[in-house]
Amino acid sequence: MAIIYKSFKLQFTRIFPLLLLYFLSVSEIDTEFSNYFEILSFNLQLIIVYYWMLKYPWLLGNGHIFFAGIINDVVTGLPLGASALSYLVASFVASYIRNVTVNKSFFTEWFTFLLAIFFSNLFFYSLIGKFSDFELFYINIFYNALFTFLLFPIFWVIFNIYVQLIGSIQND
Amino acid sequence: MSSSRGDFSIAFRSALLQRGVKQKFSLFFLICLSILIFFLDSYPSKAMDVTRALLNDGIYRVSNLATSPFKFFASLKNKTKNHLFIYKENIFLKNEIKKLQEKDLNTSFLIIENKKLKEVLKTEMFESSERVVAKVLIDKESPFLKSVILNKGSKSNIAKGMPVLSENYLVGRVVEVNYISSRVLLLKDLNSRIPVSIQPDGAQAILSGDGTKKPSLEYLPDSYQAYENSLVFTSGKDGIFYPGIAVGKTILEKEQVKVKLFSDPDQISFVSVILINEKKQF
Repeated sequence: MAIIYKSFKLQFTRIFPLLLLYFLSVSEIDTEFSNYFEILSFNLQLIIVYYWMLKYPWLLGNGHIFFAGIINDVVTGLPLGASALSYLVASFVASYIRNVTVNKSFFTEWFTFLLAIFFSNLFFYSLIGKFSDFELFYINIFYNALFTFLLFPIFWVIFNIYVQLIGSIQND
Repeated sequence: MSSSRGDFSIAFRSALLQRGVKQKFSLFFLICLSILIFFLDSYPSKAMDVTRALLNDGIYRVSNLATSPFKFFASLKNKTKNHLFIYKENIFLKNEIKKLQEKDLNTSFLIIENKKLKEVLKTEMFESSERVVAKVLIDKESPFLKSVILNKGSKSNIAKGMPVLSENYLVGRVVEVNYISSRVLLLKDLNSRIPVSIQPDGAQAILSGDGTKKPSLEYLPDSYQAYENSLVFTSGKDGIFYPGIAVGKTILEKEQVKVKLFSDPDQISFVSVILINEKKQF
């Protein structure tokens, strides 16, 4: 019984990032706080995708990232595939950085996240702006990208603590 | 130089094409698939419309289910709060009754005035119109689209363009219809444009969403003198909306005429959709 419980706990902690990604995409819990502070909004999904694909890619998986993006498009009313593409581009940047960097540090991860935000937003807004009828407010996009970048360290710390938790469950 | 370029291309190809541990698809395949789906969805086709409608209906229900614990706790919090302040509320309500009794004398005058205004605005059509009451399933904010999802769709005769009211005040219009769900574009959305009339002088304008809770009035007459607290109604000039649906009151902000909406778009839980006969013109 104890073994089953331990195995369940380990499995659950391992799939938690994936569950969080799906939950953020499917639920109306959002990271848009314009009601409290007019310019505050950030893209938590992008942070999750980048962090976990950079450090522990086997916990997320590109297929799941794609489906989470499709679900997010449906819930937010965007053309299907736009968010999926944006997340996959972030995942691609994370995979590339993982392949080319040997000495990883917090600062390299934070600053390379800027590349992920840039390319993922570039593809996303180019498609939305050129091929859909949505009107875009570029200043809002800028604030969203800025806060996503600025809040990355906080989530980096939280996720690192979480990784230690997985490790401690594994070693028990 | 050539070796660093070689390293770059190897890392690039590896990131794009290699399937890692437990990865069933390569990134390249999924990126191509996303682009394909985006273009299929962007250009209208019968097959894609049906697929999208089915997908929407399914995901909206799952989304509603996923957030139901949060909604339950939020309502529990509100109920507890209301319960705790019941004594205070009782005193407040007693005072309100006194005030209302005083105001009662003015009511008969207002009834006559209201009747006259309704004749001007031709609101009888709107008041006798058929409506469908729907529940708000999801109200996820997004930087692009300020919209809510309703639990009624084409099955309940809802169609694109229909006006949506909350407590008789306009909140938006239907922009997407699935079989058992639909999406309402709120008045504050950047893409929302509604022809309105400003009372008492009857000036015509376009109510234009700007992402904030107070949409602005555009295309006002050149010599128009704006005042605070003028009432804003739909004008029905687009031939889609009924004339005379109350929208809000004007406010002046930074040399702009804005509208404080009567319905708070963040607080709506039930709405009514006015079923408009497409052949009817106003």
